[in-house]
Amino acid sequence: MIGSLYLPGKTWLHLAPAGLKLAVLAFSSSALMWVHSPLLLSVACAQVCFLMYWAGASLRQVWQQMRPLIWMLLLLGGLSAWSQGVLQASEMVLRLLTLVLAALLVSMTTPLTQMMQVVVWLLVPFQRLGWVDADRVALSVGLTLRFIPELGVQWQEIREAQLARGMTPSPLTMGVPMLLRTLRRADEIAEAIDARG
Amino acid sequence: MKTKDIVLIALFTALIIALGLVPPIPMPLVPVPLTLQTFGVMLVGLILGPARGGLVLLLYVTIALLGLPVLPGGRAGLAVLAGPTAGFLLGMIPGAVVTGWLAIQLSGNERSKAGSRSPDDSQSIVRWQIARGAFAAIVGGIVLVYAIGVPWLALVTKMGLTKACWAMAVFVPGDLLKALVAAVVAQRIRRLNMV
Repeated sequence: MIGSLYLPGKTWLHLAPAGLKLAVLAFSSSALMWVHSPLLLSVACAQVCFLMYWAGASLRQVWQQMRPLIWMLLLLGGLSAWSQGVLQASEMVLRLLTLVLAALLVSMTTPLTQMMQVVVWLLVPFQRLGWVDADRVALSVGLTLRFIPELGVQWQEIREAQLARGMTPSPLTMGVPMLLRTLRRADEIAEAIDARG
Repeated sequence: MKTKDIVLIALFTALIIALGLVPPIPMPLVPVPLTLQTFGVMLVGLILGPARGGLVLLLYVTIALLGLPVLPGGRAGLAVLAGPTAGFLLGMIPGAVVTGWLAIQLSGNERSKAGSRSPDDSQSIVRWQIARGAFAAIVGGIVLVYAIGVPWLALVTKMGLTKACWAMAVFVPGDLLKALVAAVVAQRIRRLNMV
């Protein structure tokens, strides 16, 4: 029902440590803010596209992620070309496109577990201060992922029960039972976790 | 933080994600379907309060950035952060906190006044509870989220603040209706179940 963006592969992009990739991404993204020449920006964009192709990304998956953004970029580009000139518009569109593709590249070449490890590593200083408990963060992420399909089933059940009684679903009639059941479930799950220690 | 709080946070995060995956419910009056971008913020803030509500949205954003396609339209990953609407996503976290905080502030006033009310005007009490919830949801879930999202959009796209405001004005009527629905749902939940 729900899969990560990760594409398995064996290129050095896949093998590089997740922390390093994220650091490089953060650095190059901020550096890009100071580049104003559309020519340089299109070179950067082409480089990212090449790396993406080389890492084994399929056109279909990239398109699926980019589709909502493409329309927005076209709209914004048109607006900005009209108000600020074509040069400004192409700079803005190219920069956004490069940033988004570069970030997508990192997401596609890094497995979820490694990303999670970076998050836990980032939490370590806070844990020292006693603000967070990394184990509990991991527990809540695991619980969330586990319960997404469960809640989908719950939604379906409530909907079918209402249709059987001839009700047309509305935000109110769906929202209240959905939330109530979720709250009850949270009680039960918390009891179960506590009982096991 | 107790186990129950952690479970509640995890389950409500899962709920926001799951609701984003089921077909959207058409809303009466407005042509925009009920998506969860802002509805989740309001509902979670009103029902779970500021601390847990904020953590739910923090967890939601973290999971999205980790690369699970949980955002509307199946988008995910760090790419979202580089996109023009990242401000709306990040604004959801303080949005839920403010909604929850404001709801508590406002209902604190109510409890002190409730003693003087006779039981037979419960109808008006319910109406007031909904109005207060809607107000909290509008301030936290709309005003604050837009206050972060719109300048971000203007900055990333260099389109200018006024133009960014106009571009986003289309979504305001739908969001106002969502705030009302969230307030009604939250009021019913609170009456039926003490969280």
